[in-house]
Amino acid sequence: MNTASATRIFSSHWLTAFAITAGILFASHATAAPRTLETAYGEVAVDGQPERVVTLYEGALDTALTAGITPLGTIATRGGTGVAAYLQDKAKDVAIVGTSRELNLEAVVAQQPDLILASPQLSKEQYELLSGLAPVIVPPMAGWKTDNWKQEARLFAKALDREASIEQAIEAVEGRTEQLAESMHSRYAENDRSAYLVRWMPQGALVMSSQLFTTGLLSAAGFEVEDGGLVNGERPHSDLLSLENLSRVDGDWMFLATLNEEGRATLDAARKSSAFSRLDVVQRDRVIPVDGQLWTSASGPLAAQAVLDGIESVIQQ
Amino acid sequence: MTNAGSTRAGLGVTFCGAGIALAIVCLASLLIGAGNTGADLALATLLGQSSNEEARFVVYELRLPRMLMGLAAGAALGVAGALLQAVTRNPLAEPGLLGVSAGSGLAVAIAIALGSSATTLRISVAQLGALAGCLCVLAAARTRGVGSDPIRLVLAGAAFSGLLFALTSLLLLLDQRTADEIRFWLVGSIAGRSMDQVTAILPSMALAAVLILLVIRSLAALALGERTAVGLGHRPELVRLTVVVAVALLVGATTAVAGPIAFIGLVVPFAARALAGSDIRRALWLCLPLGPLTVIGADILSRVVVQPSELPLGVLTAMLGAPVLVAVVRANRLPSL
Repeated sequence: MNTASATRIFSSHWLTAFAITAGILFASHATAAPRTLETAYGEVAVDGQPERVVTLYEGALDTALTAGITPLGTIATRGGTGVAAYLQDKAKDVAIVGTSRELNLEAVVAQQPDLILASPQLSKEQYELLSGLAPVIVPPMAGWKTDNWKQEARLFAKALDREASIEQAIEAVEGRTEQLAESMHSRYAENDRSAYLVRWMPQGALVMSSQLFTTGLLSAAGFEVEDGGLVNGERPHSDLLSLENLSRVDGDWMFLATLNEEGRATLDAARKSSAFSRLDVVQRDRVIPVDGQLWTSASGPLAAQAVLDGIESVIQQ
Repeated sequence: MTNAGSTRAGLGVTFCGAGIALAIVCLASLLIGAGNTGADLALATLLGQSSNEEARFVVYELRLPRMLMGLAAGAALGVAGALLQAVTRNPLAEPGLLGVSAGSGLAVAIAIALGSSATTLRISVAQLGALAGCLCVLAAARTRGVGSDPIRLVLAGAAFSGLLFALTSLLLLLDQRTADEIRFWLVGSIAGRSMDQVTAILPSMALAAVLILLVIRSLAALALGERTAVGLGHRPELVRLTVVVAVALLVGATTAVAGPIAFIGLVVPFAARALAGSDIRRALWLCLPLGPLTVIGADILSRVVVQPSELPLGVLTAMLGAPVLVAVVRANRLPSL
C-alpha cells in the first residue's frame, strides 16, 4: 500500500512536470498529437514535431520550405545538380542526397531523418528500405491531375504538423489565380486565350499534358490550356509531334519550356526551323520561353507563386 | 545468290533495278507524311497544279530536305560500312565498331555539356570526334608494332568503343541537361533538317569520295590477303589509314546532322554483297542506291506508324535491321570477304 501510494505520488509528479513541459513546448504550434496519414503504401503513423526532415521530391521540399521548415537533405532538380533556381535562396544549405532517378541511400542515412517526404512515384523496394529509417510519406495521388499538388501539400503539411500555414499558402495561390483570371479575361477576348506548353526538339515538338501542375495554374489564371488531343492521360507529355502537324499546337499563346537557363537561345534555335517560325503564334510573337525546371518539374505553393509571377508578367505586358 | 550479279551485265541490271526502286521510294517520301497533306495533294503540288500554300510548304520545305538528307545519310553510311568491312575483312564490321560512332557521340556530348545546343550543332565537332575515335583505335591496334592484323583492329575497336560509350554515359549521368538535350539526338533522325544542313555535309562527302577512288584498287587487292597485296605493290597501312579517314568523314558528317542511325552500315553492305558479289569495287557502287533506299524507306515507315507523331528513325532501322539480318544469315550462306 505504502509503496503503491508512493508510486502514485511519484508518477503524478512526473505527469505534472510532463504537462508543463509539453505546454511550453507546444504553445507556439498547438498540436503535435500522434496522427495517422493515408499514404500510397498504407497508413503511416507520425508523432510529435519532426525535426530531421529529408525530402525526396521537389514538391515536398517546396511544401516544407513554405511551412518554414528547412529539410536537412533533398534531391537535385531535374536537369541540375542542386535545388531548382527558384528555391536557391531558401534551400542553399540543404544537402543533396541524389536525384529523382537515383537516390544515394547512404546520404539519406547519414542525415538520420525522423521524417521522409517522398514522391508519389517512389518504388515499393525503395519505400521498404527507407521506412526502416523513419516514417516515409508517399502521396497516394497517381497519374496527372492539376490539383494533385494541393492534396500532396496538405498531406506533407499534416506530417510536418503545419497544416494551418500550408492551407493559408494554398488559399493565397488560389486567390492570386482568381485575380489573374479576372485580369486575363478583361484583357483578352474569349477566342484569344488558347495556350500550349511545349518542349522543342529539332525534329518536332513534345506537347505537355494540360493536367500538369503548371498547365493547371495556367488554366486557373484564365488561359485555355490545350494539348491538341495528343497526350495520353497516363503521361506527362505527348510523343514527338511531326513537324507536318505543328499547326496542332498553333494556339494564341505558346509557353516553351527549356531545361537550360538561356530560354531565349532555345527560342532562337527553334525559330531556325521554318516549320516553327511560320506558326501564327510565333509570327504574333506570343511564344514565351519558360524555365523547364520550374514549369515541368517543380510543384508546391512556392513553385506556384513563382509560376504565377511569370504568368502575371505575360498577362500584364 | 552470291553469283547472280557477278557478270558485268548482271551487275548493270541489278544496279538499274536498285536505282529505279530508289527513285520510287524518293517520290513516295515526297507524297507520304504524318500530316494532312495527302498523296494526291502532294502530287498536284509537285506538278504545279495546286496553289495550296500549306501543301507547298510541307512538300518543299519539310519532305524534300528530309529526302535529300536521307539520300546523303544512306549513301554515306552504306559506303562507310562496306569500306570498313573490306578493310577489316570482317563482314560484321560497321561504323559502330571502329570507335567512329562512339567517338562522334562523345564529341557531341562534350560539346553540348560545354553549352552548345543539339539544334545548332557544328558538323566539324562530330567529324573530329569520329576521326579521333578511329585514330585511337588504330593506334591501340598497332601499339606493339604488329599493326597489320585486322582482328587486332576489330578487338581494339570494340574495347575503345566500350570506353568511349562509358565516358559518354558518365557525362550524361553527371550533367542531366546534356542528357536531356542529347536524348533525341542519340536515336537518330532525318526530320526537321534544313537545306543548309544538307549542303553543309556535301564537302565532306566529296572529299571522302576522292579518297575512296584513290585507294579502291588497293583495297580490292587487300581482299586477296595482306601478303598478296604487298606482293602486288600495294601499301596496306596507307590504304587502311586512308579508308579510316574517309569513313570518319562520312560517318562524322552524317552523325552530326542526323545522329547515329543504327544498322544501316551493317545491313546495306551485306545486301550489296549478296547482290553483286564480294568484290568491293562492285559492292561499293551498289551501296550507293541501296543505302538511301533503306534509310528513306524506313523514314517513310517512321512517319506513318504512329500518326500524328513520328517514330525516331534510328529506332525503326534497328527494329527492322535486326530481324532482316537474322533472316539473311539463316537463309543463305554468308557472302564472305
